Amino acid sequence: MERVLKDDAVEEKGERARMAAFIGAMAIADLVKTTLGPKGMDKILQSTGRGRSVTVTNDGATILKSLHIDNPAAKVLVDISKVQDDEVGDGTTSVVVLAGELLREAEKLVNMKIHPMTIIAGYRMAVECARNALLERTMDNKENIDKFRSDLMNIAMTTLSSKILSQDKEYFAELAVDAVLRLKGSTNLEAIQILKKPGGSLKDSFLDEGFILDKKIGLGQPKRIENAKILVANTAMDTDKVKIYGARVRVDSMAKVAEIEAAEKQKMREKVQKIIGHGINCFVNRQLIYNFPEELFADAGILAIEHADFEGIERLALVTGGEIASTFDNPESVKLGHCKVIEEIMIGEDKLIHFSGVDMGQACTIVLRGASEHVLDEAERSLHDALCVLSQTVNDTRVLFGGGWPEMVMAKAVDDLARKTPGKKSHAIDAFSRALQAIPTIIADNAGLDSAELISQLRAEHHKENCTAGIDVITGSVGDMQKRGISEAFKVKQAILLSATEAAEMILRVDEIITCAPRRREDRM
Amino acid sequence: MATAVTAATAPSRKTETYTDTKRRDDVRGVNIAAARAVADAVRTSLGPRGMDKMISSGEQEVIITNDGATILSRMSLLQPAARMLADLSRSQDAAAGDGTTTVVVLAGSLLRRAQTLLSAGAHPTAAADALHRLATRSVDVLHGMAIPIELSDRDSLVKSASTALNSKVVSQYSTLLSPLAVDAALSVVDPAHPDLLDLRDIRIVKKLGGTVDDTELIRGLIFDKKASHAAGGPTRVENAKIAVIQFQVSPPKTDIEQSVIVSDYAQMDRILREERNYILGMVKKIKASGCNVLLIQKSILRDAVTDLSLHYLAKAKILVVKDVERDEIEFITKTLNCLPIANIEHFREDKLGYADLVEEVSVGESKIVKITGIKDMGRTATVLVRGSNQLVIDEADRSLHDALCVIRCLVNKRFLIAGGGAPEIEMSMQLAAWAKELHGMESYCIKEFAEALEVIPYTLAENAGLNPISIVTELRNRHAKGEKNAGINVRKGQITNILEENVVQPLLVSTSAITLACECVRMILKIDDIVTVR
Repeated sequence: MERVLKDDAVEEKGERARMAAFIGAMAIADLVKTTLGPKGMDKILQSTGRGRSVTVTNDGATILKSLHIDNPAAKVLVDISKVQDDEVGDGTTSVVVLAGELLREAEKLVNMKIHPMTIIAGYRMAVECARNALLERTMDNKENIDKFRSDLMNIAMTTLSSKILSQDKEYFAELAVDAVLRLKGSTNLEAIQILKKPGGSLKDSFLDEGFILDKKIGLGQPKRIENAKILVANTAMDTDKVKIYGARVRVDSMAKVAEIEAAEKQKMREKVQKIIGHGINCFVNRQLIYNFPEELFADAGILAIEHADFEGIERLALVTGGEIASTFDNPESVKLGHCKVIEEIMIGEDKLIHFSGVDMGQACTIVLRGASEHVLDEAERSLHDALCVLSQTVNDTRVLFGGGWPEMVMAKAVDDLARKTPGKKSHAIDAFSRALQAIPTIIADNAGLDSAELISQLRAEHHKENCTAGIDVITGSVGDMQKRGISEAFKVKQAILLSATEAAEMILRVDEIITCAPRRREDRM
Repeated sequence: MATAVTAATAPSRKTETYTDTKRRDDVRGVNIAAARAVADAVRTSLGPRGMDKMISSGEQEVIITNDGATILSRMSLLQPAARMLADLSRSQDAAAGDGTTTVVVLAGSLLRRAQTLLSAGAHPTAAADALHRLATRSVDVLHGMAIPIELSDRDSLVKSASTALNSKVVSQYSTLLSPLAVDAALSVVDPAHPDLLDLRDIRIVKKLGGTVDDTELIRGLIFDKKASHAAGGPTRVENAKIAVIQFQVSPPKTDIEQSVIVSDYAQMDRILREERNYILGMVKKIKASGCNVLLIQKSILRDAVTDLSLHYLAKAKILVVKDVERDEIEFITKTLNCLPIANIEHFREDKLGYADLVEEVSVGESKIVKITGIKDMGRTATVLVRGSNQLVIDEADRSLHDALCVIRCLVNKRFLIAGGGAPEIEMSMQLAAWAKELHGMESYCIKEFAEALEVIPYTLAENAGLNPISIVTELRNRHAKGEKNAGINVRKGQITNILEENVVQPLLVSTSAITLACECVRMILKIDDIVTVR
């Protein structure tokens, strides 16, 4: 047969293509499956790059985004987990596991000679139905501030309970809720700065109102300033060099060289004077401040901070309400930042600069302490998840119970739908319900519980009206989720449901995989 | 609530049994085995009679040490779990500075017990949770044993510093080094912040020659370099006025590129003269301020000093120390209580520091500059460490660091605790008793882990060449009788009240060792897979 494709291109068709997609997706789902739930396990990620650095994590998104993947379907799952992470921040493992389960069920149906399109149609009906079921059962405590706060606490604790912070989850839930409530509804998590300092234990972490900059104050300058006016700048504090290449000065005597040097110094002095002319008492620069200007600032009693990193000064400008300046000719056009007190504080071994009473009241800093880098990194990831979920919940205040409760509610509704639906589609709808139930099953399995027993109990409970039963992993039984205070955000669940189904649908539609011919390197002959 | 608990007991048996796939067992087994191998490697260096390790690195460099953190950081470990143990020791080093071997040995022993528990069918998370409770409880037990201490109680501080030094190569010098460490540490504690001690305020200068006996604490400043006397400048100045300058005493150089064009011979002469005048002008300004000692920061852009300027400075009877590193400037200005000067125009008297004596002394073969009798000296200290060879000096430096850390712990948390295995055996006893009050898998796990703590006295005895079994059992016996402070007296080879022997250590070392070890083991237990990533 004549080849249609280029030499190295590979084509896989029909059944084979579908098989490859299914297997790839399920392999990914199985990989992260064991991290699901409060008793989920961790993974070591060992990098093959330089340094062979090691990460220990329980976060689905982190695991998936660092994997080597060659299978196109697996890539789709990695992508949805990434999207989930960006959109709502939590449920990154659940979404992949659900998509994997949907595909596992679909595979069985395909083997029963049901056309993929029929399966997709069934799944679509099921999703719609499941979503409505959830919507009906959401709780909204927007009006009642105390109740809403306790909702937030519950959500934060549920999110954290599967992470490294689980032992101190109440403490950290409190931290996260306080931080998010300060934001007053904005989802701009940039105002919450997370600072990691090795040493101490996780319980020594704390929330600080204000901003902490991990830098040193210049020599001989005041260590404490009240009512600070801050100029944030990005400018060279050595000399404004002539940027034209090859520019040089020719002189014929030593005295003139000395004059030029003096002129340069004078220029610097003028620049410093201009900066001081803004009426500031704190100057933060992204670039280095050399000895000479540093001394000038010290003489003027101005606190000068050099070499603040990019992120640091952008955040500082944001929270103090200033703007980053790079020219100083028009003092009136420069927006200065303000804060009540700047002082040097000591956390663990290091001295840091603390800005308190900043203009942007929302801003705060969470200082994480922990035994080692691994612990700190993982704690940061966990806390970030909690913060994301909370900030989403503040906007969309609908709340659901956790512990497999939403899945069972959906499964029940979908089951009912399956019975009412005539035709082959009902098989697909049935399969959807089974896939939903797989999530509580996996949570139970990970905790070493007898999943078959528990799930059947749970299903029986859910047959009653307005049931609030879910799996209580700690005691290993079916429990009342309302009493245990296990809650999840509606937005997270909805995102899991919708994007998992979409991903499954996309992979199901595949009937041919074409691998393009790799671009050849030019042979160097 | 009560009904919920009783209802939960029946299925709860299932929570704690664990059936898992073969592969996951393997990963956990491999991790535990690797971590234990690391722990075994450093086990023999625990305690006052512990052995040293010789580490030879790729570059033919040899280190002899007894310090767990140093050994582990030099080992090229590849296995992730093994590396976690090395990190553990580093964390202990950062948190407490001492007990870096203890923490690793403890983690190794806990892991061994964990393996037994897993093979008995315990769920890894059940074991991990039990460990967490164990750690919290152990800290309580340790607090119960602790003895409060005042910073004014110099004797107790010296005792705990010498316990830390006893296991080191330099142990025979502990009578000299421990008071030295205590004095150095106490002299930098700021009365305004009595619970903070910044070890960066203590500088250790190492100098080859002499023996460790010659190590001294200097109330002042030392520069590990000669005064420059290329042109016969002074090497001893009394009533010194010291300036720290960040500018250069050399011909001018502009930031913009420049070239001097010489068109005839006469001009050349003139330029030379101008250069001389320029430098002479600077030196005169320096002299005018009354300064007679000049510390010059190293410069990469241009020569900090030239032969010519040195000559003039020498003529002006100014002692010059050149090539001071930029990061030392802060320490120096803090000590001398002066301000750095970045431009000749700002050379004023109020920026100078004062000292009774600045002199160049020969130490061994080389010379150092010593500044003593500093007026209004900042809260810093300098220790000059001497030793007959580089290996000894390095080890003395590390040991001194440990001793300083011990003092720092005491400044942070003013409690002492007995050494010699006493706290571990006490924890083990009390936890085992506590385990009997608990139910189910938790009780089983805690009992097992409580026994694991006995590894410390066991190893101490073993390393001291005693019979570990008889020692540990006797120790257990004595503690059961209520002698909380009975510990292994390695010198006498028997069990005595260890407090009377002055073997004490800061509480923080013990608490951080047990919490860190538990945290690390929990982390290793919870891992079920190693994924290779980019």
